[in-house]
Amino acid sequence: MKYYSYFPGCSSSEGTAVAYGLSTQAIASALGMELIELEDWNCCGSTPYGSTEELEAACVAARDLALAEKTGLDLVTPCSSCYTTLNKVNSQLKEYPDLKAKVDECLAAAGLKYQGEVKVRHLFEVIYNDIGLDVVKSKVVNPLRGLRVAPYYGCQLVRPEPGFDNPWNPQSIDHLIVTLGAEPVPYPLKDRCCGGSLVIPELDLALGLIHKLLESAASNGAQCIVTVCPLCQTNLDAYQDMVNRKFRTKYNLPVLFFTQLIGLALGVEPKALALDKAIVSAEAVLSPYTKVAEPAVQTRGGVTYG
Amino acid sequence: MKTKAYLMIKMERENGGDGHRSAIKELEAMPEVEVVASVSGEYDLVGVAMVDTPKGVAGVANKIQAKEWVKSLHVLRVEPAAPNPFLDEVCSTPGGESIRWCAQCGMCSASCPNVAQMDYSPRKIIALVRAGRRYDILTSNTMWICASCYLCTVRCPKDVKITELMHALERLSTRHGLSYGRATPAMYRAFIDSIKNNGRVHELGMMTRFYLLTLSTGKMNPLATIKMLPLALKLLLRGRMSIMPTKIKGSKQLKTIVERAQALGGAR
Repeated sequence: MKYYSYFPGCSSSEGTAVAYGLSTQAIASALGMELIELEDWNCCGSTPYGSTEELEAACVAARDLALAEKTGLDLVTPCSSCYTTLNKVNSQLKEYPDLKAKVDECLAAAGLKYQGEVKVRHLFEVIYNDIGLDVVKSKVVNPLRGLRVAPYYGCQLVRPEPGFDNPWNPQSIDHLIVTLGAEPVPYPLKDRCCGGSLVIPELDLALGLIHKLLESAASNGAQCIVTVCPLCQTNLDAYQDMVNRKFRTKYNLPVLFFTQLIGLALGVEPKALALDKAIVSAEAVLSPYTKVAEPAVQTRGGVTYG
Repeated sequence: MKTKAYLMIKMERENGGDGHRSAIKELEAMPEVEVVASVSGEYDLVGVAMVDTPKGVAGVANKIQAKEWVKSLHVLRVEPAAPNPFLDEVCSTPGGESIRWCAQCGMCSASCPNVAQMDYSPRKIIALVRAGRRYDILTSNTMWICASCYLCTVRCPKDVKITELMHALERLSTRHGLSYGRATPAMYRAFIDSIKNNGRVHELGMMTRFYLLTLSTGKMNPLATIKMLPLALKLLLRGRMSIMPTKIKGSKQLKTIVERAQALGGAR
């Protein structure tokens, strides 16, 4: 069993991406991960805080880092925005001593201390590197044979830092899809932007980006899209209807979290994967894979038996 | 006042190819040198150096002339450098310093998914910062429709952190009160208020506050808000929006941290 400090982020804990948090918990122990939720974490600040007041933003993220440092474990988050934000603050504190001194002072005022030792990691990267696709493959009891899945990397898993995958042509989600027995659909826009939180203030702009993505995935034969980011899932899923009305299209592409796809292949019961939270229903596409006679792993309320 | 000098550097002819590239790198590494450009069709270079006094030009010229690959050096022009406080302001923010080495190749603009809707493309924004056009930049829409996708940043051949620059410009625009009339800063405001109140973002509360902020100042059409209701309802019915916010236990602690940061007056 591998132990991690877990940072769900606001949307995956009880917001628009609650299915991401639930499905993460549902597959964690089956994959040999113990995700211990960081006690009393706060929002990382994301892009809005960093783009408004930089010292406050760094301090808000530093509180989480300071709390995580006490656990002595790597801090794992399923959210690409939390991942980028916490990582950015972490490296800024190393690069800019003046900023570090001020952040230290602010943390000290609240009785906290951060020495810069925490490693911030994305859940996908942890499963890909620490658990390994070999282990994932060995647990597959319900291979998703014939399912054509479009891997959607989004922006902030592979950028801005060249990390575990190639930022120009990422491949890791494609590999995961193959591991689960499904077929990755190549399409040119797999790492392009969905608009992120701009969907709120600049709806038309974001709908244009979402439309291009859906078109690229659908025209290349995808039956569903799999994503690693709560914002991407919400934009592609919840706004699909608006795209259809605006551009007179008829997309009906379910958008799954990668944790849900893993869960299906591992034979976790669909209810525990919160597939019913999606607005574009995945029922028709997934029906050949959801009726497993005897699931190897039964999950109830996030606890795994068997 | 600082002095700007334009230097013509002729190179030894056998110094082509890699030698040419390493010469440019060597010059760029000098703290006084701002920009180096190749003279088309020749192996020669033009360098722009920034020094404190006109006398300092000789020092830089001697340093360059001492390099073994330099055949001859001519000072083309010496002029007082116009102060550019805006450039200094941008450069003093984390990530902003990198715009000094932008080569204006335009890779950022070609990579940007939202460039068609921007008042100025990312490349142009950098040129305008260098030209000191503070008001034009800080009232433009460019940084507010940057989606932080970082495609420009990973593609930039000069490692300019363009996305960070956009964030820096957003901060400056807000700080100087020039973001008025735009919807993105209102969304940021609602987002941050939610963090300050609860420690976490409560999406329903944040959205409601955003629409109230924008409707009350006429930034958004009431019809656009009504159009969002069916979507909000769908999310609510599927349990994807919590009605009540979750307040963290350490919200007082967070408040103390934020207030101290405010008392320190920002990162600089």
